[in-house]
Amino acid sequence: MDWLSRQFSTRVIVLMPIAIAINIVLGATVQQALKLPIYLDSIGTILVGVVAGPFAGLLTGVLSNLIWGYLLPAPIGSTTIGPFAIVAGVIGLLAGVWGRLGLFRSRRGERSSIPGAVVAVILVGALAVYTYARAYASPTDFQNNTGFDPGTIDQSRIFFLVILVVFVALIAVALFLRRDVGAVYAIGAGLATGIVAAIVSAPIAAVVFGGVTGSGTDLLVAAFRAGGDSLVSATLKQGLLSDPMDKMITSFVVFFIIGNLSQRFIARFPNGERLVSTSSM
Amino acid sequence: MTTDRPTGSPPGPPDFVLQAPSGAYLSLNPATKLLVAAVEVEAAFLVGTWTGPILVLLLVLASAAIAGVMPRLAVIVAVTVPIVASIVLINGFLYPGAVDVFVRIGPLAPSVSGFLFGLQITLRLLAASLALAVAYLATRTDDLLSDLERRGFGRRATYVIGSAIETVPRTVDRAAEIVDAQRSRGLDTEGRWWRRARGIVPLAAPVVFGALTEVEERTMALEARAFSTPGPRTVLRVLPDSTPQRLVRYALLLALVAMIVGRIAGPLGVLP
Repeated sequence: MDWLSRQFSTRVIVLMPIAIAINIVLGATVQQALKLPIYLDSIGTILVGVVAGPFAGLLTGVLSNLIWGYLLPAPIGSTTIGPFAIVAGVIGLLAGVWGRLGLFRSRRGERSSIPGAVVAVILVGALAVYTYARAYASPTDFQNNTGFDPGTIDQSRIFFLVILVVFVALIAVALFLRRDVGAVYAIGAGLATGIVAAIVSAPIAAVVFGGVTGSGTDLLVAAFRAGGDSLVSATLKQGLLSDPMDKMITSFVVFFIIGNLSQRFIARFPNGERLVSTSSM
Repeated sequence: MTTDRPTGSPPGPPDFVLQAPSGAYLSLNPATKLLVAAVEVEAAFLVGTWTGPILVLLLVLASAAIAGVMPRLAVIVAVTVPIVASIVLINGFLYPGAVDVFVRIGPLAPSVSGFLFGLQITLRLLAASLALAVAYLATRTDDLLSDLERRGFGRRATYVIGSAIETVPRTVDRAAEIVDAQRSRGLDTEGRWWRRARGIVPLAAPVVFGALTEVEERTMALEARAFSTPGPRTVLRVLPDSTPQRLVRYALLLALVAMIVGRIAGPLGVLP
């Protein structure tokens, strides 16, 4: 049980409510200020998971959604968030695992990790192609699913290509502007988290809300359902469009945060030794 | 600890401590209200398809009226209007496998079974969320947390939940200041999407870094107050509780289990 209690030092207990507030506030306000079709409501969850461990991340995610959904009054609080607590928990759990594997460690100027980064790019590319193929590649499937003519405009493919472009752009920023290969691992971890999150959240969205959560993504769900898709598969396809992009950006932001906090601060957390860059010590 | 105090002049806490609330629903112990809400949520999902949600909704509205939180509840209902509308419309027009479609307009096929399905999901969702909303509106967060702590709920968990609820409004203010500050420095929040996307880091980073600077100070402040010391704490403000309420809580716990059994065994699923 030592590994478990180590994840909940007083420092982590203090960080958790702040992380929960960051989740809720960024989720509720950045979307309105920037008007982008992403959620950005798991920065705190992933941060706690990475610096403290899987179990702390899981609790932060679950509590964020429960507090957001049920304990805060209407202007910020939103009842549609609560049932997705399980998804947030899975996101935090995965972040803890990635943190343990050292995927969020800053690797600025480490020559030796470049081959590793290349492998990560290939792996993540294969993963992306796989989801793309499962969800959208077949033209007949696409026509059946959406009722659109594949000859005119291929909307869901454009969405998926946008995800890939964002992924490549984040890696380019990390490699060429910040010269830090560690970000590649972090973004790859984000993509994997996003795919898992989409798979976990689809049945919840379908069973609890009939696929409708009152946000802009409802139109996508409606389009898939109009083509005769079952409720779960329509919400899954919508999730596979929105979640990976959101989690890649979130992971990149968390990586950027950890890299910019003082090493002394980070090193005091339970998982600190796996996050501090070795080359700069 | 017996906590039944005669209502006239309580000899207990000093004036600066808030008095316990009075009124039929309000004076219930927070744990009782929480359990009632849990039972209502479970009933909305497990009892029949229409019976449970409708019964729970009536019960919730009655308790809201008794507690005098109707106006605030109305605000919450108003906020859920967009999602309610989209649930009913999307299911009504796009219900897969509907046989009673009245007219087909391209991909839109409005059907009675679709509208009924949408209505049923809506009732269930409203009943469940309003049950929790009434419990929230009628209970002070501090009361709930201190009562839970008194019952042996972990001090760490209590701190995390209480502090998170407190931190959210402060962080909202800070985020608003940061948005204004970055706009005055030329951040584009209205242009094309790639220009707006460039704003994510300048907005999110100061909010996060600002909040994280507090971690160090708070850790020391808590440790200086023996936060991680084992052993029980003395509670300044003890909330009323009574034997009938305790019995009701056991009954509610039983009901939580009984509903799951009843649903799996069949009788609750047969109800309309």
